[in-house]
Amino acid sequence: MSILATKDTHVVIQGGVAGVNAARRMAEFRYMIKQPLNVSAFVYPPDAGKTNEIVCGTELVAIPIYRTIAEATAAHPEINTSLVYIGADRAYAGAMEALDDPRIKAVSMITEGVPEKDSKLLGKHARKLGKIFNGPSSIGVVSAGECRLGVIGGAFDNLVACKLYRPGSFGVITKSGGLSNEIIWICSQFADGITTAIGIGGDAYPGTDYVSYLEMFENDPQTKAVVIVGEMGGDLEERAAEWYGAKKRRIKLLAVVSGFCQESLPKGMKFGHAGAKEGLKGEGSARAKSEALKKAGAMVPDTFGALGPAIKATHEELLKSGQIQPIPELAAADLPRLPKTVEQAKKDGEVLVAPLIRSTISDDRGDEPLYQGYPASELINAGYDIPHIIGLLWDNRLVSKQEAEIIKRIIMLSADHGPCVSGALTTVIAACAGIGLSQAVAAGMIMIGPRFGGAVTDAGRWFKYAIDNQMTVEDFLAYMKKNVGPVPGIGHRVKSLRNPDKRVKELVGYVKSLGIKTPHLDFALEVEKITAAKKDNLILNVDGTMAAVLVDIGFPVDSLNGFFILARTIGMIGHWTDQKRQGSRLIRLFDYLVNYASPKRREVPPLK
Amino acid sequence: MAKVLEGPGMGLLRKWGIQTPNYVVVTSAEEFEQLSAVNDWLKQSKLVVKAHEALGSRFKLGLVKVGLDLAGAKSAVKEMLGKQIESIKIREVIVSEAIEHKEEFYASAKSTRDGVDVMVTTFGGVEVESNWDKVKKLTVEIGETPSDAALSKLAKDAGFAGETAAKMGEFLKKLFTCFENEDAQYVEINPVVLDTAGNLVALDAVTLLDGDAKFRHKDWNFPFAAEFGRAYTKNEEEVMAVDAKVKGSVKLIEIPGGNIAMLPAGGGASVYYSDAVVARGGKLANYAEYSGDPPDWAVEVLTEKVCALPGIKHIIVGGAIANFTDVKKTFSGIINAFRKAKAEGKLDGVKIWVRRGGPNELQGLAAMRALQDEGFDIHVFDRKTPLTDIVDMAMAAK
Repeated sequence: MSILATKDTHVVIQGGVAGVNAARRMAEFRYMIKQPLNVSAFVYPPDAGKTNEIVCGTELVAIPIYRTIAEATAAHPEINTSLVYIGADRAYAGAMEALDDPRIKAVSMITEGVPEKDSKLLGKHARKLGKIFNGPSSIGVVSAGECRLGVIGGAFDNLVACKLYRPGSFGVITKSGGLSNEIIWICSQFADGITTAIGIGGDAYPGTDYVSYLEMFENDPQTKAVVIVGEMGGDLEERAAEWYGAKKRRIKLLAVVSGFCQESLPKGMKFGHAGAKEGLKGEGSARAKSEALKKAGAMVPDTFGALGPAIKATHEELLKSGQIQPIPELAAADLPRLPKTVEQAKKDGEVLVAPLIRSTISDDRGDEPLYQGYPASELINAGYDIPHIIGLLWDNRLVSKQEAEIIKRIIMLSADHGPCVSGALTTVIAACAGIGLSQAVAAGMIMIGPRFGGAVTDAGRWFKYAIDNQMTVEDFLAYMKKNVGPVPGIGHRVKSLRNPDKRVKELVGYVKSLGIKTPHLDFALEVEKITAAKKDNLILNVDGTMAAVLVDIGFPVDSLNGFFILARTIGMIGHWTDQKRQGSRLIRLFDYLVNYASPKRREVPPLK
Repeated sequence: MAKVLEGPGMGLLRKWGIQTPNYVVVTSAEEFEQLSAVNDWLKQSKLVVKAHEALGSRFKLGLVKVGLDLAGAKSAVKEMLGKQIESIKIREVIVSEAIEHKEEFYASAKSTRDGVDVMVTTFGGVEVESNWDKVKKLTVEIGETPSDAALSKLAKDAGFAGETAAKMGEFLKKLFTCFENEDAQYVEINPVVLDTAGNLVALDAVTLLDGDAKFRHKDWNFPFAAEFGRAYTKNEEEVMAVDAKVKGSVKLIEIPGGNIAMLPAGGGASVYYSDAVVARGGKLANYAEYSGDPPDWAVEVLTEKVCALPGIKHIIVGGAIANFTDVKKTFSGIINAFRKAKAEGKLDGVKIWVRRGGPNELQGLAAMRALQDEGFDIHVFDRKTPLTDIVDMAMAAK
């Protein structure tokens, strides 16, 4: 047995993120006691119609979100309790809406900073309806083995440490959220644990006070003793004392009150919760409250620290009198456990997961990216450059200074070729159509293929094929003619022997000047001699030159197009930015640039 | 509760039709000079000049001057502004019109659990204390409005007769309306006087508003004053500014002369820690508290202020078993500030005592414990050590 939060409690949570977090904590509790989630619905107008995903053990449960309480209770008639997790400025309206719903019997509010008038009106309204309004500023309610409302009890490990998976004999009522948890812990260590613990909130005028809950505990046979943690200010503790002293009560009452320090503080200096304020005429001091409780027959330890032993003594007395039996403790292996996430289980070395992908180039799990194991910042500090990063990420190796210089020159020579070529033109058109940078550049990229810029890989492949198979130029050309077609990397739309491509001349000249072995480049130049002799423009183009050089310095064939793509990205970004900077407007092709070869206007035949 | 100074307090009474003396709040002598050139009442009436700060015993400190003419008021304004009273500098002065009167009455409204108590008596001014039994009270239930008849009966019961009774009934109605609409928690008007024209005038008022209701009062454009008879210190104001910005809360009140610095978590536990220090004969150097899972940087700011308290011997980093405040995260803020303070020599000879539980308590406590290796005099305990035992240990260690 328990009070307020029971196994029959079904909840609607009013609010957004904080409410969802509470639902997750509540789901952990329900998992601990092997029960399904008792949150039926959320009410949060901005997300109405959607669902919140709540982890319940090893599953995700979708809880619907409604616009109003009425919609929630109509769809989920089991709902009898509402938790309010909405801001102080809207909390009053939200709680009123819940109280006025005929199905809802109890409303608990966690919201802090609610105007006093609002909480007083809510308390009055609830009393008129015969319902419970708990809070504001309430951490929640927890009944061991049955139900948790809100985040009271903290993390899962703490729930287990406090034995909240099964009921004990002690009721707890506190204003403070942190102390509710502390008392739950003390009851589990010094005695047999709790039945129900309630946070009534630290405001001056909570909706429901000690007396109402003491009355409920008195009528709950499972609860044998109640611990209340009081504070200076107001008269709630005095009223509890009055209730306890009024007649013989079944439950034992233990109480501590804070605020004795006030007596020795500079006059008027007060602190703690909102409600922890001495009356203007000195009433409500910690001492007055303590005395009242003692006089009424409650056990009132002098300090908070003495509370544990007092609870222990009470528990022993209950055992001795036979009112309760000792509860056998669970063996450590039988204690409830939350399913581990894969991450945690991996960390603890408990599972083997088959990886989905394998990566051999980089790792950014640490505080900076590692390229082939080298920290990026250390590469920078050691004087390495962009071509070295290309070597590390494209070919898993640190290229030499000389190779880096070749790569750099290749990229510089290929960075842009004006606005008219397929890639740049497409990017310009996209920029003029108001398309964003990444999409416009991607559009230009799409143009790179067999006819534009995409011949580097193919050229490299076939030059490499020839060298690997020790072919003569004649054999090669014959093979290509028979099996492949035109030689990739040979031929240019406008350039020719008489009008040579200066980029090619530049690159070939530089590489040859280095005195390194360049079998592929040499072969390609031999091929050019023969093809150009046949037709003036069948020269070694820039794609073919790049390809031969890159194969010569050892880059894998499949990476070769990447050099053009990388280089040209610089140009495309330039074209997009250029159009953007000028505020270019939408463009379209002029009609006179189109040869309209479609049929002339004619009559549409009737549909058959 | 939020205390409101006299100027804005009077402003709220006027808003709801209660007559008050004319007044101006000034921050410089030049401003008063200009005001006196355009306000006839300043030239024609006897004047009262008071320091407009949250200070107790202003009379004793010579910060209230009565029966002045304009010239006298001008020199009083000049004299008071900029005056240093302990840590507080007088920044504002209120000059109001003295109202000629014979009798002084008392009227107040106070928020209670059940609603509002409206109180009135013919024994106003200093007489009210010794005649508290003559005060008549009407309890108005929350959400209700008292009838004109009930209020006028209250006035009659309190001993007001004839026309004055009717006027006081009317006055109480305005007071109640003001109280209700302004989310007040306590308004005490003492004295209420009958001026020569026969009107009831509120001469002085204590106004406490519900600071939590500020969101629905766009015209509360005044700052709230400290309730403990002194203005907030710079450190307190800085922590309040952080508190206003973050989720959760951080709080600080400095108590000069103490040597036990407090840095506990939780609005409830923090007071038990303070109680424990006082019960063992210790002297608190401050009150502090952080709760509601505040960001680590906010706790760091609070810790910096606590470490900077003069003459401290111990720091009590106490706390109950948190529900959702992340112990590891909040402790990392504390640790950052501790390191900074240690480097600046502020923790020389200071013993630190830690006790805490809650989410990620193992990591948080381990990080604190590791400070021993950095040369901190730090003693770390977990949930198995009862809440306030670290205070006992600290007091035994000195």
